[in-house]
Amino acid sequence: MTRALRRAPGYLFLGVSALLSVLPLYFMAVSATNTSQDVLASRMLPGGALVENFLALVASQDVASAMWYSTLNAVVTTVLALVVCSIAGYGFEVYHSRGKDRLMSFLLLAMMIPFAATMIPLFQMFASFGMVNSTAAVILPAIATPFLVLLFRQSARTFPHEILEAARIDGLRELNIFFRIFLPTMRSTYAAAAVITFMTAWNNFLWPKVILVNNTYQTMPMLISNLRAGYVTDYGVLMLAVLLASLPTMILFLVLQRSFAEGITGAIK
Amino acid sequence: MNKLRKFAALALVVPLSIALAACGGNGTASAPASTSAAASGPKSGTLTVWCWDPTFNIYAMNEAAKIYQKDNPDVKINVVETPWDDLQTKLTTLAQSQETKQLPDIFLMQNNAFQKNVINYPDLFKDYSQSSVDFSQFPQGVTAYSTVDGKNYGLPFDNGTAITALRTDVLKEAGFTIDDFTDITWSDFLAKGKVVKEKTGKPLLSGQAGSADMIMMMLQSAGASLFDAEGKPTISNNAALLKAIDTYQQLVKAGVFAEVNSWDEYVGSFVNSNVAGTINGVWIMGSIQSAKDQSGKWAITNLPKLDGVDGATNYSANGGSSWAISSNANYELASDFLAKTFAGSKELYETILPSSGALANWLPMAESSVYAAPQKFFGDQAVFKKVIEFSQQVPKNNTGAYYYEGRDAVSAAITKIVNGTDPSAALDEAQKAVEFAMK
Repeated sequence: MTRALRRAPGYLFLGVSALLSVLPLYFMAVSATNTSQDVLASRMLPGGALVENFLALVASQDVASAMWYSTLNAVVTTVLALVVCSIAGYGFEVYHSRGKDRLMSFLLLAMMIPFAATMIPLFQMFASFGMVNSTAAVILPAIATPFLVLLFRQSARTFPHEILEAARIDGLRELNIFFRIFLPTMRSTYAAAAVITFMTAWNNFLWPKVILVNNTYQTMPMLISNLRAGYVTDYGVLMLAVLLASLPTMILFLVLQRSFAEGITGAIK
Repeated sequence: MNKLRKFAALALVVPLSIALAACGGNGTASAPASTSAAASGPKSGTLTVWCWDPTFNIYAMNEAAKIYQKDNPDVKINVVETPWDDLQTKLTTLAQSQETKQLPDIFLMQNNAFQKNVINYPDLFKDYSQSSVDFSQFPQGVTAYSTVDGKNYGLPFDNGTAITALRTDVLKEAGFTIDDFTDITWSDFLAKGKVVKEKTGKPLLSGQAGSADMIMMMLQSAGASLFDAEGKPTISNNAALLKAIDTYQQLVKAGVFAEVNSWDEYVGSFVNSNVAGTINGVWIMGSIQSAKDQSGKWAITNLPKLDGVDGATNYSANGGSSWAISSNANYELASDFLAKTFAGSKELYETILPSSGALANWLPMAESSVYAAPQKFFGDQAVFKKVIEFSQQVPKNNTGAYYYEGRDAVSAAITKIVNGTDPSAALDEAQKAVEFAMK
């Protein structure tokens, strides 16, 4: 009893914090079912305008196509980024040398350059390849990120070298060591990297907006931006679109939640 | 230590060289190829258009396409929905990377951003003063936004004429009618606003705190600007600006003008009947009419004018947009299309007005019977005809290349002044900020 009492303030604090973090999400979900006027009046109860909002959204925007291209971009980017960056991170750590250390530091410097500074040269480059208006142009620049290479390099550091030596003595080829031993033990790191990459790719706005000059391959964030452009914004429709756009990342996060936490804190089984 | 120094040097050099690469080069724009034959006979081809509002300008563009296609069935109009902010980002990227080939034929541009873009990125635009578009059929105050060095780069589309929209039911409760707010000065407005506030508890106006919209409308109503004819900032010792800021402050202090935190809250304040009116560009009527339960309870009139300022009028503007023809366009086709639709078709404007509220700048529409029709939502006032009449009396606004910088600096100054800084000192500082930005 006394123990429960002692813990009460802590639970109260956590409860209030949790409530505050969930509130915006709740408001988003509830607003998707309300009319624009009700949203502006901050109505916190579910309303009956969900179908109406959905029909208005589908009538003004090609949601199915935007969802498809968003998914395509995010999935392909995530798969390619995990393969490329994990091999790179593993290589930097396992085949360690002074030169590679320098190269790594150079890569990290690239993290400091804001995207706005590289956007115009990047655009010129893709334009000269004739790749403006293609999904490949959206995906390619997002595949190799210094952050992911660093993440995999750090987790490769916790990978016991004894296992590596043992595998070599048993005659396993280098590539197989990576795929058969490193990859399965690093599952939580992969999960964390997948969540981060998927989220970044899914929410990416500026670059797709610039490189996709016509709207054939429009993604969800671009679609949401369209909804806010006019003189009159329908907030119910807008909230519904935002809700739809956040579902995939939410689902992915919930599925990989446990591994994600482990991956971020660097646990190894 | 040595290592650290090397990295620091690298960290400096890498972004610098990238920035330099981005700035370099100043090639010439490719001359537009004129493919279509002379003026006679139906034309063919596809025009790509960038604009941003499906219920407003995109709708208008599609209706224009239908009208043009009656005589030119082989012409296609391909509208690419591009919100204004994104459109500006795209234009900047294309201009700086010299990839003007990616430009559409026609794009819509906010009037306030026109000068800035033409002056900074002349390669994007096509001067169409010599085309069949008759620019004299638009109010001079509006074509001025898109005219640089006497050349017309834009055809005015939607009307940005400012209106005072008020709730007649609330005014009645306080013993006023809309006529009590017509052709008045700001000091009258303030006095009557206090009475309304006292009797009904509602402020007459609302707006975003730290936004210069209201001040800029007051300034333009007196024909004043933040810049002189040469584009030099005239923010410090600007009598009209000081008067506008003083008026604004008094409105806020008396509770006649309620400051809110965001655009969404601003719209919410009148949609939810928390305030009894608003002053803005005529396009705000779209948001007002989203509150269907308030039908018949609104009326519009002109703006109050500044007291004791030379050239003060009851008319102003905020926003509005114009069609630009790009340097990459099929020029013959694009200019002919615009001349026969947005600068030549009553049918077009009569079609789009009732369903989208897109109000023309094209002066011949003042005689249209559709424009003269009474509007139920506004208590059977002929609001559209009224706005066209207002639009012809709006003083010209000199936006210049640094309009947004000037506006931002003034916004910052207003926040300081409201918090107690001396107005002339705050404006001196704003002047310096703009001069610095122009270096």
